[in-house]
Amino acid sequence: MSGGTVETAADLPPEAREALRRLVIALADAKRLMGIRYSDWLLGAPSIETGIAASSMAQDEWGHARLLYAMLKAFDMDPVQVEHERPSDEYCSPDALDRPFEDWAEVVAGCVVIDGAISACLRSFAGGSYEPARSRVPKMLAEEEFHWDMAAAWYHRLANASEEARTLLRDATLEMLPSTLAWMAPDDSAANVLSDAGLTDSPGAIRSSFEAVVGPVLAELEVDLSTAEARSEGWDASRGRGPGGPDDDAIERARGDRNRMLFVE
Amino acid sequence: MAHGGMTGLPVMKGVAYLPASQVSGGRDMWSEPLAVPPEDRQSAVWDLLHEVLDPEIPISLVDLGLIYDLGLVDRHVKVRLTFTATACPCMAFIREDIEDRLLRESWIDRVEIEEVWDPPWTNDRISERGREALRRLGVGVSG
Repeated sequence: MSGGTVETAADLPPEAREALRRLVIALADAKRLMGIRYSDWLLGAPSIETGIAASSMAQDEWGHARLLYAMLKAFDMDPVQVEHERPSDEYCSPDALDRPFEDWAEVVAGCVVIDGAISACLRSFAGGSYEPARSRVPKMLAEEEFHWDMAAAWYHRLANASEEARTLLRDATLEMLPSTLAWMAPDDSAANVLSDAGLTDSPGAIRSSFEAVVGPVLAELEVDLSTAEARSEGWDASRGRGPGGPDDDAIERARGDRNRMLFVE
Repeated sequence: MAHGGMTGLPVMKGVAYLPASQVSGGRDMWSEPLAVPPEDRQSAVWDLLHEVLDPEIPISLVDLGLIYDLGLVDRHVKVRLTFTATACPCMAFIREDIEDRLLRESWIDRVEIEEVWDPPWTNDRISERGREALRRLGVGVSG
């Protein structure tokens, strides 16, 4: 990344500014949806302690989403509108978060693959030249360390449990990987604009960072990240993800539709 | 960022750390407003913030290491505040407690709170006084 610090988005040329706006929304939406998916497992996790961990992780993700949505003010956007009024097809979260996790193996795979990918993006963002990210994201990454500890421990546990557990976990991993790789390190002009401007690492460097952390964990199930391919059919460059969006239930919860009449901010 | 008992304010040595307060921010133990504006108002503001307790842990926000800096221009106080976690459920309480404590003083008209995350808060920021208070409450602090 190039030197120098970008104090505010207004200092950027239009193309870089737009690419940065997409990145911030993508990260914020990813955090919001990740939190919702974790929150589904406050009850029903394999143990009370694990349910409490899911609760804590959901709380962290929503805290991170809050900080990231607030960063949209620099783009003359209203964070309240973005958080509480958008339809599903405007969300920029990873495709793999579009539906609930069906079982605990999917939760564990999601924690490793999807949360791992989000963290790889955040590491890159924190190390870039955008000052609001440099000052906010390190705290998020510090909190994510606990998510990773739990994710890696559970992945190891299931990978060394029954053949059925291994199969479920491997299938979930392989299902999530292609679209998540595309979301994390897009092969498009916006991603390259960001790295050229020194705001993030290059997509290739982000992927390398992801592989260095997540690769050894997935290797327990003979999943070779170095050869895994990103899937980007139907790529929506305006959102940095594939077609579609999160399910209605998740969107209603993300927006707070049920309690809209009681909304105070 | 030197601060502490040079202003004539009642210093709450030990008192603030008795788990007796049942009111947000420990406001039932806050001192009376100063009758006369202090000479060293910067230090006085630090002392006032020493009286504001964290809503969940009965030690002061200062000893918990949440106050990163403060500035005072005329009657306007600017507080740079962090939180222990990005999703701290007590953010609004803490903001309100800080504002309410400072605005009790006749020499403060306005309180501006800037939320900051750099450097990230860790246990290392808890003062020795805060650690001792937590130990007395049966809470160990690593780091």
